Formats: sequence, structure tokens, C-alpha cells
Amino acid sequence: MLMQEFTNEAIEINSLPSYQEVSLNAPHPNYWKVMLINIFIFIFFSTTVLITLIILNEKIKPYGIYLVGGCMIIFAFIFLLYKTSFKKRGYALREKDIIYKSGIIAEKTTIVPLNRIQNVALDEGMFSRIYKLATLQIHTAGDGTGHMHIAGIPIEQARAIKEALLKRLDLLETSAN
Amino acid sequence: MMDHDFSKPQRQSISGIVIMAVNTLQQIIRALIIPIAIFVIKAQTNLLVYFIVGISILILVTLFFSYLSYRRFTFFLDNIKQEFVINKGIFNRTLLTIQLDKIQQVNINQSLLQKIIGVYSLQIDTPGGDSKEVSIKAIDEKIAYSLKELLLNGQKVSQIDVIEKDISLTSQTPILKLSSSTLFKIGLTTNYGSSLALLVGFIYAIFHNAKELLRAFDSDNGQVEAAIKTEVSILSVSIIIAIFLFILLIINIIRTFVKYFDFEISEHKLSLLISSGLFAKKNTLLSLKKVQITTCSQNYFQKKFNIMNLNLKQTHSGEAQTEKDLTKSNLHILGCSAAEKDELLAIILGKILEKGAVFTPNYRFLNLPIFFNAILPIGIFFIFWFLFQEVKPYYPLSIIYFFVSVLMIYISYKKHRLTVSQDFIIKKSGIWDISHEIIVPHKIQSITTFQYLWHKVADVGHVNLHTAAGVIQFKYGNYTEIKQLVNYWLYQIESGTEEWM
Repeated sequence: MLMQEFTNEAIEINSLPSYQEVSLNAPHPNYWKVMLINIFIFIFFSTTVLITLIILNEKIKPYGIYLVGGCMIIFAFIFLLYKTSFKKRGYALREKDIIYKSGIIAEKTTIVPLNRIQNVALDEGMFSRIYKLATLQIHTAGDGTGHMHIAGIPIEQARAIKEALLKRLDLLETSAN
Repeated sequence: MMDHDFSKPQRQSISGIVIMAVNTLQQIIRALIIPIAIFVIKAQTNLLVYFIVGISILILVTLFFSYLSYRRFTFFLDNIKQEFVINKGIFNRTLLTIQLDKIQQVNINQSLLQKIIGVYSLQIDTPGGDSKEVSIKAIDEKIAYSLKELLLNGQKVSQIDVIEKDISLTSQTPILKLSSSTLFKIGLTTNYGSSLALLVGFIYAIFHNAKELLRAFDSDNGQVEAAIKTEVSILSVSIIIAIFLFILLIINIIRTFVKYFDFEISEHKLSLLISSGLFAKKNTLLSLKKVQITTCSQNYFQKKFNIMNLNLKQTHSGEAQTEKDLTKSNLHILGCSAAEKDELLAIILGKILEKGAVFTPNYRFLNLPIFFNAILPIGIFFIFWFLFQEVKPYYPLSIIYFFVSVLMIYISYKKHRLTVSQDFIIKKSGIWDISHEIIVPHKIQSITTFQYLWHKVADVGHVNLHTAAGVIQFKYGNYTEIKQLVNYWLYQIESGTEEWM
């Protein structure tokens, strides 16, 4: 009922394409491996620090077993967190905008209309490169929280998207001038 | 007007040397004021000669360097590339290039000194963290205004158009002109915060300098502190507070008069010309299409006086934002009446505000603020209450605090509203100062919606509208409605061809 008050034009709000029903592309399965590598590097370094601390510090030694146990729980938690985070991610390129959904506790959806994109960048991380993956960064003239970073897109596909978006940008600029 | 040719590199007005020299001297003196004062007081007369010689040398050196930087400072307008180029620097040469279409605002100001000499300064504001803000220190009035027009209008405007604009610049009758009584009302009701900071800073400076001076005479035996102590014991605290508030109001009124004296807004074509100032006249030409968010705000007293504040927010870049940059890219218009506000809004937005659908937040809006701002502090207080005898007599205060904070949170909940119409999105918020942030859908850069897992069943969610001048947030709304709105806005942005800037 509320919606009808501001529709002067002959638009039926419910017939507009709805962003929430678009089927999203998940990041490439190999990206989970990249995440795993990152998690293991983190775990490796923190356990090394922890073990040297336990061995060197006489006072901590008797509690070592609890500390290790506590860390194990934290690691398992981190692992689960990343797994859910990986599962929750998804992106979709529509004709006129790009959608990215993510978030564990808060499900967040960002939508950038293609005609508001200022700049597109492609970022290849060290481990992502092994699996031929890239992060697509989409910037607008708005503040940083409105920008979009989509990780784990196959490099070929990411390049194609980037080219397509940039071409559109050129098109917009020439049509404006 | 148009006979001045900006396409060749040129220097600023010759009197710029004086302006620059005085500015530098001012900075040096400001930094060294206390050592100099102490030196003058403590030194013997024969040393004063050296002091005067030193000062003279300082002035000569500054003049010399000002002359050099005057010689090295050139600017010109590249008509083909559509760029404004500034060359400057004595030892480090700097070449600043500003693309004309990136220019946001051109300010022409006149300080007291510039008024005496008869020149103006011209400042160019551009968005973006890395592009520097550019200023020309001394420029003739006519040249300044024709340069400003050229800079703001860019390439697409023909010369005839520019001349026409110049005529309209002089002949326009102002939309808004603040009378002394309005200024008085504004002084009574606005900007308490900054005046308070000023007053506290002033009192601190007096205290500090008094001690500094006494120390210079080797006679600081804590008289200042003692004087304050006896004063406190004689006068009751309430009288001090009353005097303090009175001074605060007076300062507020004086500041308002100095800053906004002769405040005038006039419209010409796609810009607003705003001028004000008692000692230093400040002119700002604002390009309307660059305004991203328009905020009007009003508190209880202002409502009684029928005055309102407008705040025009312009584009700023997301990175490397300092507080100063932020307030600089904002433009304040104070003291408009309801009718004047409507007229200004119609000019700024290009359309008249219409009624729209109103969206209100869910009661869950209250939960977190009440917990963190009311229950948690009170809980901590009662732990202290248990443990320490000293805090026991203060428990009535904690109860007052609890009720006041809950009331404030409740008011903020009642005021949190989103009004959506075909051409506008209006977000209302505030507790004391109630503000309406108005944006036009095609100025939205991107949209973010989010929902916490535990709000899924209740169908409650949040939406952030990102614009080039900040974010508009609507919290704890009906998520189904929010999604529909987002689809509607996306449709508006994507089907429209209007430029956001």
C-alpha cells in the first residue's frame, strides 16, 4: 500500500527486477584452497610463537597443555568461520549493475550500478596466482564502505569482466561529451 | 571583462609580495610571541638595539623571499587541454595541474590586509585526497571574478554565455539576506559547541600566559592558582556557571556577527553566490550540480524563532579525509525562515519537495543503545556502589542519568524516519537538533543492505545509501519494504541518464 503513494509513473514496483532473487555465482572452489593456505600460514606462525614461549618461559610451562588446547579450539573456530564465510559469498553481474553478497553474522549485499563505477582494478595475490584466481575491485565516487572487492574469480573471467566494465565506462564518457 | 587573456603564463598582482611577507611574518611572530615578550621585558636596554636589528633583518629576509616566490609563481589557463596550471616554488619547483571539470568550488576572499591594499585571494577546491588545494594570494577583483567564471564554467560555455552570466552576477537580487535581528537569533541558538571550545581555549590561554609573564618577572609563587581558589570560595559555583553561560552567549552572538554579517545569497544560472563577513568579506560561488546531500536542521529554540540551518555537502573523496577537509567541502546557510528554506531547496534540488511514503524503524532500534548507553553504565555504577562507600551518596544522579538517557534514545527512535518520494529521499534524525538529509536518487553511488541473522524472522534490516558526500543510513526497517525500495532506486539510477556531478 505504501509503495503506491510515490509511483506517479506507470511502474508497478513489484514488477521491477529484484536484486534479492538473482542467482549468485559462488567464488571458484579453488579459492577455498587459497583461504586454507592463508589459514595454515597463520596457524603455523602462531603455534611456533606459542611453543617457543612455552619452552622458554618456566612460569608458563605447567599451563602449556591448556594453552595449546585453547589455541586448538580457536583455530577450529577460525577454520569454521572462514568456511561459512566462503559459503556465504556470491556475486552476479546484471545488465545494469553488479551485486556482491557476503557476511556471516550480518548478511550484506552491495549493489553498484554500472553507470556509477569510477574505476576497476584487478588484484592477484601470491597464492591466488597459483590457482589462476584474482580479486576484482570496483570503486565508486562514494566512500570506502560502498566499494566492492570480489575475491576468487578465475583470472580469465575477471579480466573479461574488467574489460567489459571499462568499455562501458568509455562508452558512458564519450556519450556524455 | 573578457579582455583579460588567461592563456599565457602570468604573475599575481605585484602587491602579492607584501601579502606573502606579512603572512610569513605573522606566522613567525605567532610562533615566537612568548619568547619575544619575555626577551623584551627581561633584556637590558643596550640589548634592545640588537633585538631591533634582528627584527629588521628578519623583515628584509622575508621580503626578499616573498619577492622570489612572487617571481616564481605563475599561472595560466590551458584552453586546449582544459587545465589550469600553476607553477611555483623557490627551491622546489612545483607544477600543479588542475583539470577544469574537477574543480568543485572557487572562493574569492579578502582579509583585512588585502582590503587595505585592494586585492583579493582566489582559492580553488578540488575533490580527491591527493590533489592539493590551490590558492592565488593577490589578484585584482575584476581578474579574480572573470577567472572564477572561466574556471567554473569550463569549456562547454561560449563566451557570450559567460558575459551574460557576469551581468546577471551584478544585477541579481539576493534570495536571502540576513538582518541584524536574525543574526541575533542565530547567535542565541546555534554553534554552542565551537564557542564553548573557543571560550575554554581562551581562558586556558589567559591562565597560561599570566603564569608565563609572572615567571618572566621571577615572581610566580602560585598567585594565579591562589587567586582562583579564593574566588571559588567567595562566589558560589552557580554564579560562576551563570556568568560563564552569559559570556558564552555573548561570544556566540559576536562570532555570528563577525562571520555572517551582511550574509547574502543570490542565484545565477547554475550556481549560488554566497557572501558574508564583517571584517573580511567572503565570497563563495557554489556550483549547484556538485551538491550531493542537502541537510536542513533545526532545534527547539530555532523552531520558536522560525529559523533553520541548511548544510550543503559536496563531493569529497573517500581516502585521506581530514576533519578540516570535510567541513570545508560543506557549506552552511544559517537563519532561513521556512519560506526561504523552501525557496532555496527548490533552487538547489531543482524541484519542489513533495509528500512521500514514510518508513519507520522497528522497536528493536531501541535495544542496543539502551543496553550500551543506559543499562551497562548503570550496572557498572552499581558494582562500584557495592564496593565503595564514597560513591553511595551519588545514586540519585545515576537514576536521573538512566531516565534521561532512555528518554534521549526514545526520542532518537521516534525521529528516525525515511521519507521516499519519486524525486527525493529524505532521512530525518536527531535528538535536539532535528535534521533532514535530502538526496536525489540519481546521486546515489552504490547501495548496501544488510541484516543480522537473528533479525531474519522479524524481517528487520538496514540500508546504506552511499553518495559522493557521505552515507545515508536507515536502520531497523522492514526488510521486505527496504528490498522493494532498493529495487526502485536501482531502477531510477539505471534507467535515468542524469549525471550525478
